[in-house]
Amino acid sequence: MRSWTPDSGRRVNPNSMALLEVENLSIGYQTRKGYLHAVDDVSFTLEEGKSLGFVGESGCGKTTLGMGLMRLLPPNGVIRKGRILFDGEDLLEKTEEEMREIRWQKIAMIFQAAMNALNPVKRVHEQIIEAIVTHDPSIGRQEAYAKVESLYQLVGIPGDRMKDYPHQYSGGMKQRAIIAMALACHPKLIIADEPTTALDVIVQHQILQETKKLQEALGISIIFISHDIAIVAEVCHDIGIMYGGQLVEYGARSEVFDSPVHPYTMALLASYPRLTGEKRHLIPIPGETPDLISPPSGCRFCERCQGADGTCRTGDPVWIDISPRHRALCHQCAV
Amino acid sequence: MRGLDGLIMNKKSQDTVLELNNIIKIYKTKTSFLGTEGKVVVALNRVSFTIARGEIFGLVGESGSGKTTVGRLIVGLESPDDGKILLDGYNIIGLRGKTSKHFRRKVQMIFQDPYQSLNPQLSVFDTISEPLTIHKLGNNEKKEEAVREIMKAVGLAPPETFMHRYPHQLSGGQRQRVAIARAMVLRPEFVVADEPTSMLDASISAQIFNILIEMRNQFQVTLMFITHSLAAARYLCDRIAVIYKGNLMELGNADEVIDNPKHPYTQALIDALPKFGHCEGIKRYETLLPKERGGTDGRGCAFYPRCRVADPAICGRQQPLLKTALGSTHSTACFYPEPSIENGSKSEECFYGT
Repeated sequence: MRSWTPDSGRRVNPNSMALLEVENLSIGYQTRKGYLHAVDDVSFTLEEGKSLGFVGESGCGKTTLGMGLMRLLPPNGVIRKGRILFDGEDLLEKTEEEMREIRWQKIAMIFQAAMNALNPVKRVHEQIIEAIVTHDPSIGRQEAYAKVESLYQLVGIPGDRMKDYPHQYSGGMKQRAIIAMALACHPKLIIADEPTTALDVIVQHQILQETKKLQEALGISIIFISHDIAIVAEVCHDIGIMYGGQLVEYGARSEVFDSPVHPYTMALLASYPRLTGEKRHLIPIPGETPDLISPPSGCRFCERCQGADGTCRTGDPVWIDISPRHRALCHQCAV
Repeated sequence: MRGLDGLIMNKKSQDTVLELNNIIKIYKTKTSFLGTEGKVVVALNRVSFTIARGEIFGLVGESGSGKTTVGRLIVGLESPDDGKILLDGYNIIGLRGKTSKHFRRKVQMIFQDPYQSLNPQLSVFDTISEPLTIHKLGNNEKKEEAVREIMKAVGLAPPETFMHRYPHQLSGGQRQRVAIARAMVLRPEFVVADEPTSMLDASISAQIFNILIEMRNQFQVTLMFITHSLAAARYLCDRIAVIYKGNLMELGNADEVIDNPKHPYTQALIDALPKFGHCEGIKRYETLLPKERGGTDGRGCAFYPRCRVADPAICGRQQPLLKTALGSTHSTACFYPEPSIENGSKSEECFYGT
C-alpha cells in the first residue's frame, strides 16, 4: 500500500498521456414533455495530473456531464452516444458491477452541497473507514484508521476532531472531510461539482488552495464544475465553457480568459462585476437560455448573440481551432 | 461618484432616511431537555449607521455575520434587544396597528430566493397588486394601471405577456423582477434587498443589478443591498459597510473601502476572493492568521483570533469602536488600521470572483 506522503503519491508522468478521453458524448433525459438534450456532442481530453474546469450557467448541462462520466444518472437519464475512455477503457461498455469497482477507487466524486452527504448519526472517521474497507476488504480496520489519520493531516483537519460527529464540524471542515473521503482510495480522477458553493469566501479560498496543493502533490486529475468562472480559473489548467448543453469554447485557462473568442464567453465575462479598475456598466446577456427539449437549429446562442447572422441560424456551428490549445464552436469566430 | 459625498456631508441631518443607533440583537438557543444551558449568541453588537436619502447602501458580510438580521430588524420582522431604529426621525421599534401598517407601506423587502418568496398560487398580477389591496389603494382600474407601470419599469414588458402567468412559468430572473415590482408598487421610501441575486446566474444578476439602479434613479427610493459579494457591492453601492460576527468593521465610500481597505478583516476578505486574469502583481494584505489564536475571552475585537496585525495586549482585551479620521468619510473599527496602500499594484485586467 502506498503511504500518504505527498512524494510517494506523485504519479506525474513527464510525457503525460490522456487519462480521460471523451468523444461525442450526448446525454439526455426522458421527460414528460419529450427528450431533453442535456449534453450534446461533447468531446474533450484530460491528461494525467491536470485539472479541467467546466463553467456554465444553470441548465447548461455541466452537472449532467459530471454525473454521466460516473454513470450515475437518474433513472430517466440516457447516454445516447459517444465514448468515455478512461485509462484506455470505454466506461460505457462496462457492466454496472465493473463500474462499481471503478467508482471511488479510480474516479471519486465530490457532490454539490457535499456537506449534506455525511451521515449525521455516524462519526466522521467511521464513514471514511467504511469507504476504504468497502472498496478494499484486504485492508484491516487498524490500517484504515491510520490512513484516515494521514488523510486528515493532508486536508488540514486537526487529528483530535477525527471522532466527532458531522454536526460538530463547521461547513469548511465537513467539506475537507468529504475531500479526504474522496482521496481515501487513491483515485486517479476526482470530479468536483460546485464543491465550495455553500462556503464563505475565506473558507472557500482555503479549500481551493488545499485542492490545488493536493492535486499537484498527488498528481490527481480533477474535473471541476462550477458556475463561477473565477473559482474554476483559480484551480484549473484547462477550461471548457458550456452553453445550452454544448461545449462552446475549450482551451488553456490563460488563452480562454485572455482572448476569449466565443460570443457567449465574452458576454459572460462582460456580465461579471469587477473589483479593480474602472467601474464598467455591466451588460446582461439579453434573452433566455434555449429550450433543450426542442433546441433551435443552428447555433444555440444565436438568439442572444449580437454578431449572429443568417448562417448561424441555419447551419450547425463548427469547431474552429484558434491555437493548438484553444478552440471554439462558432461560425463567426473564424472570421 | 454621483455627488453623494456632498449630500452626506452638507445635509446630513435632514436627508437621513434611516438611522440605526447602537442596535443589539441577541438570540438564545433553547435550553436542552437534558438540562444543559442554552447558548447566547450576540447577532448584532452595538451596530450604528445612517443611510442618506436616495443612496444605495451595501452591507457586506459572510454567512452568520448578522447582515440578514439587520435587514429583518429594519423591516420590522424582528425587534432589537436594545437600541433605536429611526425612519425619517421616528422610532419604528414596536409599532402596532395603524402606525405599523403605515410604516410597512414605506419600507419593503426583496428576499433572497425568488423560488420561495413568491406564492405559487398567485398569478403575477395578483402578486404585484396584493400590496395595493392590503393598503386599500385605488380601485381596480387604478390598480391595474399601477401594476402595468411597475412591470414595465422592472422590464417585464409587455405586461400582458406576464400578467397572467404563475411563478412556475417564469425563469429565476423573471421571478426576482416580480419580487422587485411587488416591493416597488407601493412606492416605498426604503427597500431592503437581501442577497437578491445569490440564486441567479451571473448574466441574470447583472440584469437585476441594473434594475435596482434604475429603481433608485426613477423612483428616488433608498436601497440597502445585503450581499456577500464585494464586487457586486462595488458595482451597485454608494457606500459599503463590512460586518463580521455582528460587529461593523468598516464603513465608507464603496470605491474607498475596496481600493483602500483599512480593516484587516476587509483586507483578508479581498485576499480570499478567487481571481483570474492578470493577477500576478496584485498586492496581498496577508492579514489572516492560518490558525485561530487561542486564549481569547471574547472581550476583544471580534476579528482578534484570526488577525495577524493584532496586539494581544490591546486587541484581545477591548473592543475597538468605529472611528472616522478627521476630514474623512471612511471609518474603521480597529486599533491598528492599515495606512492606505498604493493603487498602482491593482491590475485592470484582474477579475475577482464573487
